[in-house]
Amino acid sequence: MSLLKAEDITVSQGGTPILHPVSLHLEPGEPLVILGETGSGKSLLAQAIMGTLPRDLTARGRVALGDHLLDAARPGGFRPLWGRQIAVLPQEPWLSLDPLMRAERQVTEAHHLVRGLGAAEAQAQAASDLNHLGLTGAGQRYPHELSGGMAQRVAIAAARAGGARIVIADEPTKGLDAARRDEVADLLLAELARGGGLLVITHDLALARRIGGQMIVLREGRVVEAGATASVMSAPTQAYTRDLIAADPENWAPRKPAAAGLPILTATGLAAERGGTRLFSDLSFDLTEGRILGITGPSGCGKSTLGDVVLGLTGASAGRVEKAAGLTATAFQKLYQDPVAAFPRHQTLGRTLADVARRHGQPETRIDTLMPRLGLAPALLTRRPGAVSGGELQRLALLRLLLVRPKVIFADEPTSRLDPITQKQVIDLLCETATAEGCAIMLVSHDPALVARTADHVLSLGPAAANADVTAPRVVGALQ
Amino acid sequence: MTDVVMIPRPAGHATRCTGGVLVAAVLIFSLIGPLAVPGDPFAQSLMKALSGAEPGAPLGYDHLGRSIFHRLAHALRLSPAIAIAAVLTAGLGGLVLGTWAAARGGWTDRILTTLADALLALPGLLLVLIVLAIVPGTALGFWAGLSLVLWVEFFRLSRAATHEVLASPAVQATRLLGFGPTYVFRTHIWPEIAPMMLTAAAFGTATAIMVIAALGFVHVGMRAPTPELGLMMVELLPYWREAPMALLSPVIATFALLLGLTLLAGSRET
Repeated sequence: MSLLKAEDITVSQGGTPILHPVSLHLEPGEPLVILGETGSGKSLLAQAIMGTLPRDLTARGRVALGDHLLDAARPGGFRPLWGRQIAVLPQEPWLSLDPLMRAERQVTEAHHLVRGLGAAEAQAQAASDLNHLGLTGAGQRYPHELSGGMAQRVAIAAARAGGARIVIADEPTKGLDAARRDEVADLLLAELARGGGLLVITHDLALARRIGGQMIVLREGRVVEAGATASVMSAPTQAYTRDLIAADPENWAPRKPAAAGLPILTATGLAAERGGTRLFSDLSFDLTEGRILGITGPSGCGKSTLGDVVLGLTGASAGRVEKAAGLTATAFQKLYQDPVAAFPRHQTLGRTLADVARRHGQPETRIDTLMPRLGLAPALLTRRPGAVSGGELQRLALLRLLLVRPKVIFADEPTSRLDPITQKQVIDLLCETATAEGCAIMLVSHDPALVARTADHVLSLGPAAANADVTAPRVVGALQ
Repeated sequence: MTDVVMIPRPAGHATRCTGGVLVAAVLIFSLIGPLAVPGDPFAQSLMKALSGAEPGAPLGYDHLGRSIFHRLAHALRLSPAIAIAAVLTAGLGGLVLGTWAAARGGWTDRILTTLADALLALPGLLLVLIVLAIVPGTALGFWAGLSLVLWVEFFRLSRAATHEVLASPAVQATRLLGFGPTYVFRTHIWPEIAPMMLTAAAFGTATAIMVIAALGFVHVGMRAPTPELGLMMVELLPYWREAPMALLSPVIATFALLLGLTLLAGSRET
């Protein structure tokens, strides 16, 4: 018997449908993945199933949860089932724990108040839950004393404490690096092995592949494709799914290694620290024209600081950076993780670009010739940065750098906030830029697959580098 | 995402309109009034002391038989003029010093911040009184004293905002692209702090008018026979029973002006 069966779920806003009829069922022991880009309606679907839609949206359809039959149009009926039948693992769980309450207390509370166990019994059960999740001894710590992974396990224990058999995880890997992403996937699958149901909502193909089970691909509120995850991922039948899967860095064709051009910059024995902590030391690498240096490592390992040192924004605590003779200060440029934050927000994009062109003595026609090359519509120039999508803005940021004719571009996670298809476009343009403009690119990413298929050299930073799956042609950098 | 969608609130719009209308009404009265009904704010006619309205004096006469209409119009030019001059000086000074402190950091920042904090610890009225005692000429003294009190607010605002803006990736990107401090100020800092400065300027003008009136009321501000709002109130106070409207005219005018300025300032989203 299905744990959960939803039929003809639709969501509309003031009469305009934003999610077209979707049916799904969740079987014990078999996970279901809902895959889609931002704005595809995947989170709305989950909210409609749980009865937690925002007030201005209305849902229709039938939901069968165990032996309860519910009407999606009346969200009030779902409320008694929250925590008892259906549990939600929130996005970024380490932010959803109470910062002033010890870990075990948070789980005990759910056992006591949601499931209705006695105080002593709830405490014993919470302790056993935490032991089961490998958190022995961590129960007396506060959330800020837990690592991100441990906090996530506490959140899972608390979410499951009410006895819910169905777990809905909405973007559980948002903002995580590759190693942590796999850890979360394994954790979710371990919960599944206890005989529950698991519904995972994500745009992350790597997570979907690891979760397996069944899959529904959504786009603009419609089901594009459905089937077993393994077969959808290996042989997609729809064009959109094919594009989506081809856009996954795992499936990119490796870039042709570029011929070594003139050397631009040589770094020897670099070291840097932040707040008294050594981030990296004894780092040596060369940058040459037309080549891409990939930089990977977990968050907080000093990738951005390395960029600041190369760009000359901060000094290194040891080592030397030698730049080729005749390079101006503006030959070193940076592409930011959040393009919205990198543009003056009170000024139209056209104005900003025109200012840059004038400052560097470039004719404004160069902007017009670069726009189509980067696949940008001229109408974008009349807008402000906040009114342009992330992918377009990142390409505009690249265009702005090209006006300066840079020799080194430090790209700091330039695609971590973009959807897979947009990510591929931006990275492809970056590779083209390296070849066409003859500049060296330092590409920072937490995704080892992306770096491995793009970079000519790879530099791995930080202690977790040994575990990361880096299969790059060559590794020039030394680890800490 | 750091960008916040600014939705104009209808309530804020209505508030701003009300404030604008009040301030405009007071200014029109003070600027156009004496042109429509010519008269002298200093001319005495003791026979008419405390008598009611007539065509040559639409608001009646005070205890010395001077036209309240013309005295009020004169007073409503004097206080706002001093206040606006002081706010302009203080705003410019605070803006320059604030952005300079934020941009330079280090000792420059520390010394200026300490100075601002020290001034903030002194009661504003006392500071104005001290300057009034030193500087010759009451209007000039008010201007100097009020500027000295008001610049701290502008300094603190622009320093805090500039600090934040300068640390943003947008400014870093602009600098990497080869632009100098002038461009950074024009495209990043000024658009960010301009709305805050306008709000602070409206509040500052209200504060300055209030200070001038308060010191006039306790006879340590403007000297008689200069028509000034606080001075007019205290002169007419003993006659409140005989001529209530004579006393109420400056009170209502002051209230309308201050309320208008406060509404203008408060309705802005900063």
